[in-house]
Amino acid sequence: MSRRPRFLLYLAAAGPGLVAAAAGNDAGGVATYSSAGAQFGYRTLFLMLMIAVAYVVVQEMVARLSVHTGKGLAALIREEFPLRWTTFAVGAFAIANLGLVVTEFAGIATAFSLFGVSRYICVPVAAVAIWALVLFGTYRYAERIFLLMTLVFITYPIAAVLGHPDWSKVVSDALWPHFIASKAFVLLSVALIGTTITPYIQLYEAGAVVDKGIGPEEYKYERVDAVGGAILASLVSISIIIASAAVLGGTGALNSAAQAAKALEPVAGQAAEALFGLGLLGASALAAAVVPLSTSYAVAEAVGVERSVSSSFRQAPLFLGLFTAQIIIGASVVLVPGNLIHLIVNTQVLEGVITPITLAFILVLANRKSLLGAAANGKVARWVGGVAVIGVGATASLLVVITVLGWFGIG
Amino acid sequence: MAPRFVPNVFTKSARNPASPQRRRRTRRILASQGVFDAIVSLAGLIGRPVRNQTGQEIGRLVDVVARWSDGQTYPPVTGLVVRVGRRLAFVDAAAVERFENAQILLRTARLDLRDFDRRPGEVMLGHDVMDHQLVDIDGVQVIRAADLYLAEVLGRIRLVGVDVSTTTLLRRVGPRRLRPQPTPDRVIDWAAVQPFGDTGQQGAPEVRLRTSHEGLNSLRPGELADLLEDLRRNERQELLAALTPDEAADALEEMQPEDLAQLLREADPARAAELVAWMEPDEAADALRDLPTEHRNELLQLMPADKAAPLLELLGYREDQAGGFMTTTLVVANNGDSAAEVADRLAEARHHDVDIDAVAVVDSEGRLVADLPLLDLLFALRKKPDARIGSLVDREDLVTVGPNAPVIEVAKQLVEARRLSLVVVEDEKPIGRILADDVLDALVPTRGRFHFPRLFE
Repeated sequence: MSRRPRFLLYLAAAGPGLVAAAAGNDAGGVATYSSAGAQFGYRTLFLMLMIAVAYVVVQEMVARLSVHTGKGLAALIREEFPLRWTTFAVGAFAIANLGLVVTEFAGIATAFSLFGVSRYICVPVAAVAIWALVLFGTYRYAERIFLLMTLVFITYPIAAVLGHPDWSKVVSDALWPHFIASKAFVLLSVALIGTTITPYIQLYEAGAVVDKGIGPEEYKYERVDAVGGAILASLVSISIIIASAAVLGGTGALNSAAQAAKALEPVAGQAAEALFGLGLLGASALAAAVVPLSTSYAVAEAVGVERSVSSSFRQAPLFLGLFTAQIIIGASVVLVPGNLIHLIVNTQVLEGVITPITLAFILVLANRKSLLGAAANGKVARWVGGVAVIGVGATASLLVVITVLGWFGIG
Repeated sequence: MAPRFVPNVFTKSARNPASPQRRRRTRRILASQGVFDAIVSLAGLIGRPVRNQTGQEIGRLVDVVARWSDGQTYPPVTGLVVRVGRRLAFVDAAAVERFENAQILLRTARLDLRDFDRRPGEVMLGHDVMDHQLVDIDGVQVIRAADLYLAEVLGRIRLVGVDVSTTTLLRRVGPRRLRPQPTPDRVIDWAAVQPFGDTGQQGAPEVRLRTSHEGLNSLRPGELADLLEDLRRNERQELLAALTPDEAADALEEMQPEDLAQLLREADPARAAELVAWMEPDEAADALRDLPTEHRNELLQLMPADKAAPLLELLGYREDQAGGFMTTTLVVANNGDSAAEVADRLAEARHHDVDIDAVAVVDSEGRLVADLPLLDLLFALRKKPDARIGSLVDREDLVTVGPNAPVIEVAKQLVEARRLSLVVVEDEKPIGRILADDVLDALVPTRGRFHFPRLFE
C-alpha cells in the first residue's frame, strides 16, 4: 500500500532535472525575462545564452555530485568545508530564499491584479491559505492544480514564433557579444543570472537526485535528464524574451502585468491576460509553499532539531517558526505600496548577487578528486566552471560597486 | 513507524533522568568525573600550534588520526597530521607529550617528519568523522558530530565522546578565542556510537563497518528502520551490510515506502533481491510495486524462483484490492491432519509469525472448508493432540473475500464477523490471508506527509 503522494511519482518519472528546471520558470523568471524583452529588445540574448550555458554546466555538476556521493548539496558543504563556511552558505541560501518568497507573493498579487483583485485582499488570504495547506497536510492536492496552471508558460515558444520577431536580429543579437554600459542593463543582467541560476534550484535538484537513489552506474541517464532539463528551461526563458521583445520591444521598462501579458496575445488573443494570470498564479503559489519549506528544512537540519510539517509548534518550534516567519515577512513586503513588477525584478537582483556564492561552493566540490575520484571535474569542466563563476561573480560585483558608488553620488 | 526517541545524551547535570531508551548501558568512560574534566575538544585543536619540548612552534595541527579496529571501545589516537611549512607531515602519537585545549606539546625537541600516508584502519577524525553521520545506538538516532572529545584513558589518548549540541556548533562558528573550550552540553559516550568508514570516498560502498557495534543486534526492526531512513547512501549500505538478511528484511518491512524504494535502488541488485526475498510476501510486493518496472523485473529474476512466483502473483493485483494487500503466507491443513501435525507445520512457519493467526483448512480437493483460529488449535492440542482437524472446525464460521474485493468490502467483512483475519479465496481455493492491520494500513489517510528532498541528513 503506497502512502506516497502519487503526483510526485509521476514527476519523479520525469526526472529530478526536468522538475527542477520546470520549477525554475517561476514568477521571478517570467517577470524578469519579460522585462528584459520589453526594455532591451533582443539585446540581452547573447548574455542569456551565456547564462544558459553556465546554468547547464552547473546543473550537470550538481547532478554528478549527488549521484556519486549520495548526498545533498548542503550535507556535502557541511562535510567538506569548515563549519563557518557552512553557516555562511546556509545563511546565503536562507536570504536568497526569503527573496524568493517575496517574489512569489508579489507574483500572486500581480496575477490577481489582472483579475482586478486588490493586493491588500489577495496577499493576506493567499498567505494564510498556503500556510494552512502545508501545515494541515492538504497541500499536495493543491500542488497538482498549481502545477497544471504553470503549463500555461509552455505557450511562450509558440507566442515567440507567432509574434513575428525579426529573426535576423534575434540571431545576430544572440551570437554577437554586446553589452550596454548603463546601470539598468547591469541590474537586469544580474537579475537574469539570479532568476536563472537560483540557489534554491540547485539544492532542490541535489535533494531530488539523492531521494531517487540514483547511483553512479545510472549517471549517464541522469546527465541527460539534468542537462536536458536545463536546456529546455533555458529555451522557454529565451522564448519569453523573444516573445516580449517582439511585442513590447523598445517600449521601456516593464511596469505592469497587463503589459507583460501582451506577449501572449499572438497565441491567446483576448484571453492573453487571463492565461498569463493563471500561469503566474500557479507558478507563484507552487513556489510560495516549497521555497520557505526548503529554508526551514535546511536550517533545522543544520542545527539538528525536529523537522516535520506534521509536528506541532511545541515539538518543532524552529522549523515551523521559520516557515511561518518567512510567509509573514514575504507577504508583508508585498503589502508595502510600490510597483510589483519592479519588486519582483529587484528580488531577482538579490538572487543574482548570491548566485556566485553557491556556484563557487559547487565548483570547488565538483573539482575535488578526494570526493569524486575519477568523476571529478576534468580540465575542460574546471575551466568552463571557473569562467562561469568568475563571469557571474564579476557581474554581481560590478553591480555592487555601481550601487555603492551611487550612494556617494558617483556614477 | 516507531516513535522518535528523545536523544539519549550524557549530561553533566544529568538533566535527563533515566528514560526507557537508556536500557543498553555498557561501561561508560565519560561518566567518570576525572575523564570528563580532562576532555579536549578536537574542533578547538585543529589549526592550533604543535610545539616541541622547548615550546617552539613546529607547525599547525591539520588533523588527528585514530585507528578504528582492534576491537577497542575507545579508538586510540595513532598520530597527528601537522602542517610544517608547506608540507603535510605525520607525527606519531608516541611523540606527543600531551593534548591541551588549543595546543599540542611534543616530547622531543628533534622530530622525524614523515610524509602523511594513511594506513588501513585509520581515519582522520577531523575530516572523516567530525560533521559526518554517526549512529547513537543507545538513543537509536542518527547524529552528526558537532565536536569530538579526546581524553587520556588507559595510558593513551583516545576518542571518548561525540558532542551533538547546538551550543557547540555556535562555539565553532563564534570567535576563534572561544573555540578551544569544550562545551560538553550534550555528549554521547563513544561506547554508544557506531561510526562509519571513510564514506566521503567515492565508489562502491565496500563493507567498511570494521567493528560493528554489538548493540546493533539488540535494536528492534522499527528502530533499525528509523536509522536506515535517516542515514545517507554509503552509511546506510554499510549499516545494512552489518545485519543478517533476516534482521535486515524485518527492518525493511518497517520503512517508509519511499525510503525503502530509495534503499533498494541504491543497493547492489543481488543484495536487494536477497533482502526482498526475505521480506514477508505482502510487504515485498508493496516494495516492488514502488520500483520502476525494469528494476522490479531485475530483482524478481535474481530471486529464487520459489520466492519470485508468489510475488509475481501478488503484483498481478491492484494494491487497493484484497489480492494486492493480502499475504500469501498461509498455513494450510487438511481435514484429516492431526492437531499435532499442524502444530509442527506452524513451527516451520514461525518466521512468518506476524502474518499467521489462523490455519486454513481444506478438503481433499484443496477447497477451503474452514478457518481454524490458533487459539482453538491450542485448546485442541492440550486436550487431544491427535484430534483430526476436521473434527475441530466450525464450518459456519468461514469469512472469505475474493482477490478483487476492495478494501472497504474487506473491512466490512472483518467488522461483521468480529475477526482479526480472513482468507482470500479464488475458485474456492485459499490463496492468501488479510489481517486487520493490513486493512488499517490501507485505510489510514496519508495526511500530513509532505515530501521534500532531504537537504542535510
